[in-house]
Amino acid sequence: MNKTSTKIKKIIGSIIKYLILTLGALFTILPFVWMILSSLKTSSEIVMAPPTFFPAVPQWSNYVKAWNTAPFARYLLNTVIITLCSTCGVIVTTILSAFAFSRLNFPGKKLVFSLFLSTLMIPGEMLIITNYITITKLKWIDTYQAMIIPWISSVFYIYLLTQFFMQVPDALYLAAKVDKCSDFKYMIKIMVPMNKQAIITIAILNIISSWNSFLWPLLVTNSDEMRVLSTGLVQFQTEAGASYELIMAASCILVMPIIIIYLFLRKYIIEGVTRSGLKG
Amino acid sequence: MEMKRIGATILTAAMATSMLAGCSSSTTETTAEPATETSEAATQEATTEATTEASSETATAEKNIEATEITFWHAMSGALEEELTALTDEFNSTNEYGITVTLVNQGKYSDLETKLMASAAAGTLPDMAQAYNNYLTEYIDMVVPLDDFIATDFDNYEDILESYREETSEFGFIHGLPFNKSAYVLFYNKTMFDELGLEAPTTWEELEAVGEKVLAEKNIPAFGVDDRAGFVEATIRQNGGTYLTETGAGFDSEEGKEAIEYIMNLYNNGYASLPADGEYFSTILSNGQIASYIGSSAGASYIDTSSGWELGVAPVPGNKENAAYAAGTNLVMFTQDANKQLATWEYMKFLTSTEATTEWAIATGYLPVRESAYETEEYKAFMESDITAAAAYEEKDYLFVTPTFDATTAVRSQVNSTLEELILNKTDAETAFNTLLETVNAQY
Amino acid sequence: MEKKSVKGWIYILPSVLIMCVFTLYPLIRAILMSFSENYSLIKGTGTAFGLGNYQELFTDKYFLKAIRNTSIYVVFVVPLSITFSLIIAVLINNSGKLKGLFQTVYFLPYVTSVIAIGIVWRWIYNSQYGLLNYFLGLFGISPIGWLNETQYSLPALIIFSIWKSMAFDILIFLAGLQTISKDVYDAAKVDSTPAWRVFFRITVPGIAPMIAYAFIMGIISAFKVYNEVFSLFKGSAGPANSAITVVYYIYDQFYNNFNYGVAAAAAVVLFLIILGLTMLQRGISRLVKNKNS
Repeated sequence: MNKTSTKIKKIIGSIIKYLILTLGALFTILPFVWMILSSLKTSSEIVMAPPTFFPAVPQWSNYVKAWNTAPFARYLLNTVIITLCSTCGVIVTTILSAFAFSRLNFPGKKLVFSLFLSTLMIPGEMLIITNYITITKLKWIDTYQAMIIPWISSVFYIYLLTQFFMQVPDALYLAAKVDKCSDFKYMIKIMVPMNKQAIITIAILNIISSWNSFLWPLLVTNSDEMRVLSTGLVQFQTEAGASYELIMAASCILVMPIIIIYLFLRKYIIEGVTRSGLKG
Repeated sequence: MEMKRIGATILTAAMATSMLAGCSSSTTETTAEPATETSEAATQEATTEATTEASSETATAEKNIEATEITFWHAMSGALEEELTALTDEFNSTNEYGITVTLVNQGKYSDLETKLMASAAAGTLPDMAQAYNNYLTEYIDMVVPLDDFIATDFDNYEDILESYREETSEFGFIHGLPFNKSAYVLFYNKTMFDELGLEAPTTWEELEAVGEKVLAEKNIPAFGVDDRAGFVEATIRQNGGTYLTETGAGFDSEEGKEAIEYIMNLYNNGYASLPADGEYFSTILSNGQIASYIGSSAGASYIDTSSGWELGVAPVPGNKENAAYAAGTNLVMFTQDANKQLATWEYMKFLTSTEATTEWAIATGYLPVRESAYETEEYKAFMESDITAAAAYEEKDYLFVTPTFDATTAVRSQVNSTLEELILNKTDAETAFNTLLETVNAQY
Repeated sequence: MEKKSVKGWIYILPSVLIMCVFTLYPLIRAILMSFSENYSLIKGTGTAFGLGNYQELFTDKYFLKAIRNTSIYVVFVVPLSITFSLIIAVLINNSGKLKGLFQTVYFLPYVTSVIAIGIVWRWIYNSQYGLLNYFLGLFGISPIGWLNETQYSLPALIIFSIWKSMAFDILIFLAGLQTISKDVYDAAKVDSTPAWRVFFRITVPGIAPMIAYAFIMGIISAFKVYNEVFSLFKGSAGPANSAITVVYYIYDQFYNNFNYGVAAAAAVVLFLIILGLTMLQRGISRLVKNKNS
């Protein structure tokens, strides 16, 4: 009797669980599906009232049209280079800083950390023009470094990884010290593998923001050879209106690589790597 | 506060600029003869040349412009950019000096504005750019005055539409040439109008009558405006009033009061409506949810008639006077290098020539900037088939833009949101008038 | 922890360098700007120093409205988003074979184009044929002009933002959940501890640092809300500026009105508000920690 009632409870629990997850998922995925469906509509379907959900005839030609309006192949290459470099940079500086903030003791640590955190509180819109002038003075206009260097360090991620690093028990560190393991070696051999999933999450977050960043690349580049994918999106907007179907097609082109990267990296996030870390 | 037409300062700056230009080129190059002189001397020389030589082409050949590259920052995308590229390619391959113009698309207008501002602060402005007047107030002394160029080397400046000439000389000198110009026109659902036995309204009374009829028969608002601030100014001007002056609101008068009363009545009676659910009026009109709206002629291609209705376009209704809001940017020169200035000027002349402005207008739906372009066979033929162009043509003698004072931009955004609030609250005309006056004056 | 040594500085040096050049330096300039009268971006100076910008700021009804709106926004968006995300993250974590699928789906809003998101939400909120009014209609609630009426624009913004910030929070929480050892859960299973108890006794403490992170970041980014306003109301701040936020105000003053000094002053005020709140939050969490131990 007791056993069946727990079983029923469990089944009901499962049903509720999946119901919530599925409803939430539908709601969550709606804009994404909308983006894909819109990319296949005609220009009049897209502004129709009331809106239709599915395109009457899928307009695959929107993709061809979108791809051909700008040198997207070149943009893609630039985007990949910038995303790759800035993400590698972010990972390195974030690991180093988070390790220092969570594990090492140095003069002015609290002050620096607070200062770091406080920089997040100023809206980026206020900083752009000064940074543009700095980039100009460095003669970095129209270069990759202009789009990479300012973004290879992020307090946002440093703070996040610090939180993860703090979770690692002190005992491990002390044990490593006894074994005469240097700080740097400890960081590489133990902290990093133990927090692989956090680091990959940071990589994903940074890939997305770097991939989609728009205003800064537009500001610091002038030539088509240096422009990135997201700047290609403005091709479909004019003073008086926008070709939404082409924007959507271009947006789909823009996000596909990220989704592929995500699916590829996801398995590292899911796999619990805690144990492998403990072995080290 | 102080107005931006700072005549004397600007003229000094202009002189300094042209002298500087002389210096820089004399140190680099001695062959660019006219440029090494001060602008006044250059003026005389060019004039003598123009008079002595029979054909102007030979005269320009004497100018001795060094082959050079100039950059042009613009905000034209899609089909507009294609046409601009085509025109520029033509210039690059046909000009006799070896001038190469590089087009740089800087995104939307707002992106271009930000980038110009940042570049002005960093001292890296391009050779030339598209710009609205209000972009320039902060760095107007970096804009190259075009007065001398126009006086010595321009084909019939009077041919440029008067309203454009006024707009490009409001800083006390000629700071640009008009380029991609549009006008606000009345778009209406002709099928619906025909069904109700209505004609496109030409006056305030007629518009009110249309509003009454459409509301009664169709139970939808008859009328909307894309740009509320522009509509307020146009309405005041149509009533013979003044919108802004150097020192504050100019519409504290009977004319102004009547105009605001007329606007508030349209909305309070349900004849006019705000754009609902964040849609453009082009979409709302396309979906049959409104009978007409005033919007930019450049937006005509976003009106979709595929659901089977006919679009009509008419000049905006007037009252005591006619007045229609003009939009679009001008070409502005920044380069301080004398040779590049001459090269940029060649390109600016090319883009504003009768042939180019006609071609540009037909391809993009923008309006020609020259009277003579309206007279060409090509453009006449185009107007036969393009009702938007035809309606805009009727407005060409009464187009206006808001004068640029320090407060203009702030006034614009405040009037937009204040009027919206007044409409949402169904405010009575008297209160609305006082509130708008206060709002405008508070920006000075 | 060991004794202080400058070695730590070597680790943070790269970040410090970047930070000084691209954040601290412009930040200091912005602060100076806020005390300059008639600041000119071109000259890089103002005509005089003073508090004029702050005076102007605090007499501007739109700024006061922006402060009020932003505060309401933060109070609703941050806790609700974290609560929902935590529930969803835990459910996903326990969804067996479907875990990967759900994880991917809940991640997608993060990569969807902002324009697409804006359009879809405008459609959801549409007064005549929007999804939301359709559902409310099922309960006999008459249509609401979410985007047209001043009193509904802020709620509309809040609902939209909760949805939008959930993808990020879920991602962080899922990463955090992986750090909790399976053994702890297994032990709870053996003891047949009720699920809610597992949630509060194991899950929440296990990812407490991530929750704290999401909370602080949530507050900071909610105070800086701008893109959401821009995309939902297509560049405006809602009907008659009814959904204006502080950063929208800053942006408008800076880029549209060229009121650099006032924009900078607003940024400084915002900075102080956030700083005060995070300090308060850290103080409280320290108090709680001490009490517990």
